[in-house]
Amino acid sequence: MSLRLLLVEDDRELRATLREALLVEGYQVLTAASLAEAIAMYGQTQLEDSATQAFDLILLDLGLPDGEGSDLLVRLRRKQSTPVIIISAREAEGQKIRLLDEGADDYLVKPFSIGELLARMRVALRHRGNQVRAAVTRYEQGELVIDLANHRVSRKGDTVHLTPTEFNLLARLVRSAGQVVTHRQLLVDVWGQEYLEHTHYLRLYMGQLRAKLEDNPAEPRLLLTEPGVGYRLMETES
Amino acid sequence: MNPLTSSQQLLRYSIGLVIWLLGWCVLLFFDAHFDPVNLSLILVLTSALAALWLPLSVTLLASVVGLMAFNWSFVPPRGTFAIDLHQHTVLLVAMMLVNIIIAGLMVFLREQSRRAQAYARAAEELRIWGDKLRDASEPIVLLEDLHQALDRLAGGDSHHPVALVTIGSQPAAIDLPTPLQRIGSINPEHEEALRHCLRTGQALGPGTGHYQELDALYLPMRGRSMTSGAAMIAGITSLDAFPALTQAQALCDQMGAALERHHIQQQERQARDQAQAQTLRNTLLAAISHDYRTPLATIMGAASSLDQQGERLSDSQRQQLARSILDEADRLRRLTSNVLQLARLDAIGGKIQGDWESAEEIIGSVMHRMRSHDPQQRISAKLESNLPLLWGDSLLLSQLLENLIDNALKYSPPESPVNVSAYLDKSGGDKNQLVLAVRDEGSGIAAEDCEQIFEAFQRGDHRKPGAAGGTGIGLALCRAIARAHGGELEFHATATGASFECHLPLRAQPVNPEPDL
Repeated sequence: MSLRLLLVEDDRELRATLREALLVEGYQVLTAASLAEAIAMYGQTQLEDSATQAFDLILLDLGLPDGEGSDLLVRLRRKQSTPVIIISAREAEGQKIRLLDEGADDYLVKPFSIGELLARMRVALRHRGNQVRAAVTRYEQGELVIDLANHRVSRKGDTVHLTPTEFNLLARLVRSAGQVVTHRQLLVDVWGQEYLEHTHYLRLYMGQLRAKLEDNPAEPRLLLTEPGVGYRLMETES
Repeated sequence: MNPLTSSQQLLRYSIGLVIWLLGWCVLLFFDAHFDPVNLSLILVLTSALAALWLPLSVTLLASVVGLMAFNWSFVPPRGTFAIDLHQHTVLLVAMMLVNIIIAGLMVFLREQSRRAQAYARAAEELRIWGDKLRDASEPIVLLEDLHQALDRLAGGDSHHPVALVTIGSQPAAIDLPTPLQRIGSINPEHEEALRHCLRTGQALGPGTGHYQELDALYLPMRGRSMTSGAAMIAGITSLDAFPALTQAQALCDQMGAALERHHIQQQERQARDQAQAQTLRNTLLAAISHDYRTPLATIMGAASSLDQQGERLSDSQRQQLARSILDEADRLRRLTSNVLQLARLDAIGGKIQGDWESAEEIIGSVMHRMRSHDPQQRISAKLESNLPLLWGDSLLLSQLLENLIDNALKYSPPESPVNVSAYLDKSGGDKNQLVLAVRDEGSGIAAEDCEQIFEAFQRGDHRKPGAAGGTGIGLALCRAIARAHGGELEFHATATGASFECHLPLRAQPVNPEPDL
């Protein structure tokens, strides 16, 4: 059975283009041009119902003619964990961070290529329903193997020694591999709520991790920085 | 004139009295040894000394009484006011005259020196006040100081409450019933008079020549061409009740001059900002009309060719057209992003929202993105280890690097290397700077173009026209970003090409967590 997508985008041209491209990829695509239409498409009951998931993934534009796309995200997140990718022309980091913290799985700034969109969708779909499924405990990419269950990290077959903080930080990124994790989420999950302003801790420990895990820390291929927003661990090829 | 306080007065009278008593003791002591003529000199001395401390009237009274007592006690026949010898009469009369003259001179001198001191104090107060106003970035914050100074002049008690009003920072508000900035309590009647004073720039109240019947003094804060505020000293019924009028007016006028200066500076800044904004708008329009049309033309051409000639094109031709649409769209995206950031930086006046950022991460993220434009692996990055953290906006700094790398790729020969580096510049003494540099092995830039190259939309003439889409605005943005971080973007011609260096000042580093093992 093919995956069902809901595409909420008010611009007719972009909606048609994206729809065609996604159909080619084998997705089943339903479109909505406004907030009201999207909610109707969802069905009032299903939006508030945690049992049924009407869609497998939602692509959501923010500035819709009858309101903010983020409203739908907030309503949806009360009950459902359906992956939501924001597609917006707005570039302000503040908004990006807020939506990611509010539960958006990713944020793509227009213009973007279809390849980019498909890659982000694959990651979001892979993480779908993480809350109910067993958490990711193993990450393999190239010569790097991270085994969270056994607290083991090895590179080119050699064990890499990580401090407890480094390991916690890496583990947090592994659980969301391929997805952006905001500074806020990392600081709260690894250090605690009272360390929200301590961005420099992240700079320090991410630097240490890159020094231990990357071939060339000046050009990282695994521990990627999203300037002003957070970090992303490269998604695995598998 | 400051009336002497009662305690000071009491002290002066006491000292005068003690001098007279001592003098009399000396007289009694020498009575047995000297004749009255010599003793009289001691009396003159005593009187002169006492005159240093006592007021004129008391001095005169004391001399007369002293002289009579001298006559009674020491001039024969003793115990009477009668005088035996004629020369003693002459002596006593001469003594009387000398005493009066000395007393007069003393008092006159004392008054002179007191005035001189008062003038010096007033002048010193004005000088300090002037310095303070000059040093203040906004004179308006010193209103409270002026209030205190006037309060001191008025005696510092509740009988003469002081209040101030000034127009706010907007000079245009004089004629409008706009809210005034005020200190002290003001009733509607005072308010009316203060506004009148502010409007006309004339002092009102007793001793000023205007509305003498008022029971308060209203002093304008006058500048050269405008009055920026007014002060009220209440409970003044006559000029005698407030002799420091001139001093108070001088303090107010200094405030007025400072406020006016500030207003003029603000107006100048506004005018300059407006002119700059206008220039920016014009250059943005120029950019849109020129730099946008070229990639749009390519996109339009390629897309319409695909649309209308689709079947007649070979697969590779179609691929080629799609590729150029993508490339040009990407160019437009970059250009749009630069224009938007430049406008945004301009709008926020160059005040960025910073955070602690690592040069390694900024370069890393830029390298990650630029690789897709660099199939031949021309870009390489080199970082010093253990670089300190930067305080800044990582998005802006990565945009700066992206623009510089993009330019370097475009303007140096294909396959020549482009080097990105970050290092610490210790040449500035204790003010270390972090440098983000992009070097290429291109044709370099003519010396006369060095400054111009940074100005928006002015491209070096030797560049191939048209190929340089949006370089000017890219570099203008880079410089704006560097400056918004308190740094500077520098261009250096090297032996092999060009080097753009963004010098960023360093802040005191944040406290790192204890290392865990």
